[in-house]
Amino acid sequence: MLDHRQKIIGEDTVLFEHIWKSGKGFYITVSILGALVLLGLYAYVTQYRTGLAVTGLSRQIFWGVYITNFVFFIGISHAGTFISAVLRILKAEWRRPISRLSELTTVFILMFGVGSVLIDLGRPDRMLYAIRYANFQSPLLWDVCSIATYLTVSSISLYLALIPDIAMLRDLGGKREWFYRILSLGWRGTEGQHHRLDKAIGFVSVLVIPVMITVHTVVSFVFAMTIQPLWHSAIFGPYFVVGAIFSGVASVIVVMAVLRKAYHLENYIKPIHFNNIGIFLMAMTLLWFYFTFAEYITIVYGNEPIHMAIFWSKISGKFAPLFWLHFVLCFIIPLPILAIRKYRTIRGTVIASISIILGMWLERFVIIVPTLTRQRMPVDGAYYIPTWVEWSILTGCISLFMLLYTLFTKVFPIVPVWEVREGREKAVTQVGERIRSYLPETGADQNLLSPGGRG
Amino acid sequence: MEFNRRAFIKIAGLSILGLSVKPGWQVFSKIDTPEPSPDAETLAQRKWGMGIYLQKCWKDAGCRVCIDACHRIHNVPNLGTLKEEIKWVWTEPYEKVFPEHEFEVTEEDYRHKPVLLLCNQCDDPPCVRYCPTRATWKREDGIVMMDFHRCIGCRYCMAGCPYGSRSFNWRDPRPFIKNVNLEFPTRTRGVVEKCNFCVERLAQNKIPACVEACKEKALVFGDLKDPRSEIREALKFKTLYQRQPELGTKPKVYYIL
Repeated sequence: MLDHRQKIIGEDTVLFEHIWKSGKGFYITVSILGALVLLGLYAYVTQYRTGLAVTGLSRQIFWGVYITNFVFFIGISHAGTFISAVLRILKAEWRRPISRLSELTTVFILMFGVGSVLIDLGRPDRMLYAIRYANFQSPLLWDVCSIATYLTVSSISLYLALIPDIAMLRDLGGKREWFYRILSLGWRGTEGQHHRLDKAIGFVSVLVIPVMITVHTVVSFVFAMTIQPLWHSAIFGPYFVVGAIFSGVASVIVVMAVLRKAYHLENYIKPIHFNNIGIFLMAMTLLWFYFTFAEYITIVYGNEPIHMAIFWSKISGKFAPLFWLHFVLCFIIPLPILAIRKYRTIRGTVIASISIILGMWLERFVIIVPTLTRQRMPVDGAYYIPTWVEWSILTGCISLFMLLYTLFTKVFPIVPVWEVREGREKAVTQVGERIRSYLPETGADQNLLSPGGRG
Repeated sequence: MEFNRRAFIKIAGLSILGLSVKPGWQVFSKIDTPEPSPDAETLAQRKWGMGIYLQKCWKDAGCRVCIDACHRIHNVPNLGTLKEEIKWVWTEPYEKVFPEHEFEVTEEDYRHKPVLLLCNQCDDPPCVRYCPTRATWKREDGIVMMDFHRCIGCRYCMAGCPYGSRSFNWRDPRPFIKNVNLEFPTRTRGVVEKCNFCVERLAQNKIPACVEACKEKALVFGDLKDPRSEIREALKFKTLYQRQPELGTKPKVYYIL
């Protein structure tokens, strides 16, 4: 019996340990997160009973923290796909231990993106009207369609890569065997099954990338399709996609660091992972700056009074502190940390990432709110200070996300065991062969050996 | 076919599931019957429009008669704060409303004159496109309608309206209405509202309440399609302003200088 277990677990004991062992830290974390979720829930109940009057929103500034959360959370969700699907297609071997944790971030945070819009509704009891009386002219309906597709595809992607690990847990037996038995779909790990799984994952990975780009493009269209100054911008689609990947990748770095520490995954999630993603994040920092620059220089040079009024409210007016803070957090702080090799350590990338995450939340805020203070006409009484309800709901959302994440790791391994093993057992030789096929000495026909295959 | 207990339970379960689809769907998306609309063809023969004589309007400084008349009959609540303010008709200073007609040499007192604002009843209304549930739509006679029973309160129409004509019910408005007019619906919290060009009065062949209330006759109302209508006479050979005509929304509220 013990031999049987040992055979399944192999050298990867630590990958299973977090499922079985719950230390003091686990219970403390769950209690704190649970309490914060209850606080958020209490805030929402308050809002549900009195109406949105309990928020800081007003006739002039009618979108605030909730819509910011919507854009922000959906932005974060782009990371999972990016890290796992793109790196999978590019055959980047180092992605193996981190693919699941990033996909999980996508699936869970996406739900809060959707939730934020529902929280923002004046009549949440009528939310299904958006389907029943759907008006497909409305960008909000485009959002409904693309986000639903994205949630489906990324959930499938997460689940497919879970199957072999679920089968392992099933074979280990125990109280929850029945549960794993159902989910494992009869996986036995045969050659044919692996072949089919590879094909399915490959297909989903390719499919999810255009879906991901669509999602944040139409999220930006909610703003870009209006004729409000500084929202009505053709650059918003790509700008939001870049910002989404930017903040999402930063979140993955933070998640990696937390899991590595909490579950002792030092041998699996290594400094090289932080370094590699850190370099990518640096590229995204520059790309983000490029888009921000392109967006604002067009407005400044055009010098239209309506646009300039809002532009100045960001640069030197009442939104200046927030605007410059977001610029510092998104660019000035992360760029040197990520660019200089010496600082691109685990600690360095985590600091840069936290800075980017905060900065990107603020970025969404300073895109949404200033435009509403004076659309085409300066309006009186346009001020917005979010109330405790809005902050509590934000805290509650983030806490519930972390709680769901923690509970997931109590049921499934967070590092894909089978993928790591596949890397250990097969990929080393495969990659060697692949590199040999690049060399001039190899025959031309051998170059065509594994098109589309996952190395 | 053998009909044992197992099969019975299966079929019974499936039947219950099947039968509950429709009621379940109804429960989760409460059915509201849409307001019956008069014959579309008759409506389409007309196109309502309004003209506002600025000079006449400015005769009596601080006059609010039309605003009060409108808000009274439409059960518009007075919440007493700028934050939760609900308004169908209101004023803003000339320099803010018509910055394109505001020059360095414009007379000082002209700048601060109040300009009456209301929903422009655009001929190409952006708000209608944005609404995810078609709770706002353009009627055949050009009036931009609003269904308070279908609005989900997303406020996208407010983001889409370049004129700031829409208000949102941040809380239950009913306690803030002094005398409820039982002939017009009150709103619940969480829905958007705006001027409806007195569609309910037009149905009774009456002119809008604000037009009727104005003692200076500063407001004119009528059918823009009829060349002999009062409104067409009023607009003839006059200098006319519209709010942001460059946006292509084609407002049907004209300001006459």
